[in-house]
Amino acid sequence: MIALEARALRAALGHGSQRHPVLHGIDLRLAAGRWTSIVGPNGAGKSTLLRALAGLLPHEGQVLLNGAVLAGSGGRARARQLAWLGQNEGGADDLTVYDVAMLGRLPHRGWLAPPGAADHAAVERALRATQAWDWRTRLLGQLSGGERQRVLLARALAVEAGVLLMDEPLSNLDPPHQADWLALARSLADAGSTVVSVLHEISPALQADEMVVLAAGRIVHQGACGDAATHEALAQVFDRRLRVRELDGQWVALTTQ
Amino acid sequence: MKRLWTGLVLLALTLALALPAAALQLTDDRGVTVTLERAPQRIVSLLPSLTETVCELGECRRLVGVDRYSNFPAEVRALPQVGGGIDPNIEAVVALKPNVVLIAKSARGAQRLESLGLKVVALEPKTSADVQRVMGKLGQLLEVPDAQRIWRHIDAGVAAAAQSLPPGAKKTRVYFEVSRGPYGAGTASFIGEMFQRLGVQNIVGPELGPFPKLNPEFIVRADPDIILIGERNAQGLAQRPGWAQMRAVREDRICLFNEAESDVLVRPGPRMAEAARLLARCIAAKGRA
Amino acid sequence: MSGDRRGLVLALALLVSAAVLLLLGASVGSTGVESVFTAHRDAAAWQIVWDIRLPRTLGAWAAGALLGLAGAVAQGLFRNPLADPYLLGSASGAALAVSIALALFGASPYATQWLVRLGLTGAAFGGAVAGVLLTLVLANGVLHTLRLLLAGVIVGVVLGAARDLVTLAVPDILQAMQGFILGSTGFIGWSACGVMLGLLLPLLAVAWALGRMLDGLALGEATAASLGLPLGVMRAALIAVLGLSTGAAVAQTGLIAFVGLASPHLVRSIAPVPHGRLVVLAALMGGLLLMGADVMARWVVAPQELPVGVLTAVLGGTYLLWLMHRRSRRGGFA
Repeated sequence: MIALEARALRAALGHGSQRHPVLHGIDLRLAAGRWTSIVGPNGAGKSTLLRALAGLLPHEGQVLLNGAVLAGSGGRARARQLAWLGQNEGGADDLTVYDVAMLGRLPHRGWLAPPGAADHAAVERALRATQAWDWRTRLLGQLSGGERQRVLLARALAVEAGVLLMDEPLSNLDPPHQADWLALARSLADAGSTVVSVLHEISPALQADEMVVLAAGRIVHQGACGDAATHEALAQVFDRRLRVRELDGQWVALTTQ
Repeated sequence: MKRLWTGLVLLALTLALALPAAALQLTDDRGVTVTLERAPQRIVSLLPSLTETVCELGECRRLVGVDRYSNFPAEVRALPQVGGGIDPNIEAVVALKPNVVLIAKSARGAQRLESLGLKVVALEPKTSADVQRVMGKLGQLLEVPDAQRIWRHIDAGVAAAAQSLPPGAKKTRVYFEVSRGPYGAGTASFIGEMFQRLGVQNIVGPELGPFPKLNPEFIVRADPDIILIGERNAQGLAQRPGWAQMRAVREDRICLFNEAESDVLVRPGPRMAEAARLLARCIAAKGRA
Repeated sequence: MSGDRRGLVLALALLVSAAVLLLLGASVGSTGVESVFTAHRDAAAWQIVWDIRLPRTLGAWAAGALLGLAGAVAQGLFRNPLADPYLLGSASGAALAVSIALALFGASPYATQWLVRLGLTGAAFGGAVAGVLLTLVLANGVLHTLRLLLAGVIVGVVLGAARDLVTLAVPDILQAMQGFILGSTGFIGWSACGVMLGLLLPLLAVAWALGRMLDGLALGEATAASLGLPLGVMRAALIAVLGLSTGAAVAQTGLIAFVGLASPHLVRSIAPVPHGRLVVLAALMGGLLLMGADVMARWVVAPQELPVGVLTAVLGGTYLLWLMHRRSRRGGFA
């Protein structure tokens, strides 16, 4: 079952005379229930690709979510199937942690309806999963960077969508919480959700099931994270300054000078 | 039966025609027709020139309140001040229970006062023809007999001031600066009219409008014989670029007017004759010697 | 105290204070408190209290509430704490329309008749709405926040220049324009009160209903879109609320500064709440602010009056300065 698919996807950034193409004809198929990492050098177009897959960027070509063309489906229906966590989601400083997480339930709630039991349950699950439940009455503006990131992640989890797209979810997280996030992504994929994460740190990215290596707006390689071919593609794309080795049962990326 | 009806209709018509004739009707500058049952005994004036006109017509005692800028004649300074022209204190005006409120055409508050049941007459004299017209209207409003006589007296005063100038004055070229900008007094303004009556030449021609904002270079090039200006605006006159070379500045042919004199000059009102005398006196003193 | 409770307590406090100020406003003016006591005997005193002081005080509250609502909507919509209701060209549009109306007044008897019926208030309202529409056209729709802001600034500058040209051409209106720009609550009667209150309630209801969406928008446009929020419709509705409430307030009181900008900040400093409650509390706060300024304007130098715009700046500005000082002393700026 293909959860997310891109056909001849082209996208450009900027407008007017500064419009430059970023993605040049991407064909991608992401299976359901798997955790995929998208990696590549700076400027490869990773975030752009993720946004286009989430339907947040105008593009040429087609993106299909669960078999249906993305552009055709209505906003709320799509929002229930696909959750998005962006980079630097700022500004909701006056909301409590609980309220921020509750925002993730917007696709499920009626316009003026108060939150129902299902909504409260989903928010609690999400906040517990990110270890943010204990300070759910604090204001977002009072939290540190890492704490904020966990709350924003909880917001994305609260949507309880089948597909979860996350752009740089590890920013501001300290190593223990990075490990927590990895465990969370693993459990979500095992439970049947489709997780796609854009990460610029290669070692965590190697813990996923599949890896998509992107360079200069084109897919260089797509394959399992444990495959030697994937490791070779990685080394190539980073000008041979990267090697992948196994350490304590995990794949680790090492850089050279 | 038919004759009874005709009679009744005729009676009704006669009454309908007769009643308004007993009341005062006045069309103000807004085009609004104000009807009063009799001449107003309590008047609030919110424009200095209207205050002066009422007093000039001899009905100063009917004033019960004035705006904060009305300062002539001296007796009106004792009256309660009810705000300015643009920001009248509605409550204070209403508290004075006036029969009529005189206000400038361009002022706010006329509508609000009318909605509270007051009679509002909006007049605003800007030229000497306006002064005559306003005087006539106020004379009608106050039931002053022969307001035109008072006007003729003023007019004669202006003519006398004109005659007091030596014959060579007709060639004098003058410039009146109204405020920093510099804004000059054009031919169509009240002061411009005074200049015309006095027979002197205004360097600001009619094509520029009543109060044009001039390029200072224009004034330097026009090289007026006399510069007329208020004391407050005269500070730094010689320091203006190029002005120190002007003949009028070098030879000190500058007419300075203090606050009180400036008031007289810029307000188109019954003190026209005094304005003309002020101008004539200075022009005669500082003119081509 | 939890956030919810704080918000509720603040709302009650604002309402009670407003009621107290209303009574105070009825007793204060150029003729003093005596008018209230003699009102049942003296027809003129009754008129002063009932027809002048009460509608003026209540109208000041309504205008302040409209401005506070508009300020909260503007700050939520543009995610910018410096946003104020005059951002999208409403102030400059209203000022230009008023200057044209003043200039045409008396230019021809036909124009005068028409203008007398429309009144300066009608012209100001129309001008404010036209200014916002012009900004929307220039920004090519509501979809790009940055473009909207830029268009608003451009429209503000251009219409301001047009107004300057009008005042240059007809310098007689300069004083009247100054009065309009400075702002005044002195001309509000019962009908003006009714218009403002009649507009305040539905606009407040719409803004409150869209509060949840404003919260979502606070996370960023991409995230809000990913949550399925109809951004285009939302923004159009919010801009309509912004334009109409600002226009209604400006039409009656002129350009009173600071109320729209300060009210949401004042609310947030006391009780940080989500946007739905913020717009309601900001309206209540704005109403109290302007009403308080109006009462003080009449009281401090009675029987004269201070310009109310100066007092709103002093009242609101002093409190915000104190807040900033306290926050910076505790360390850190939020």
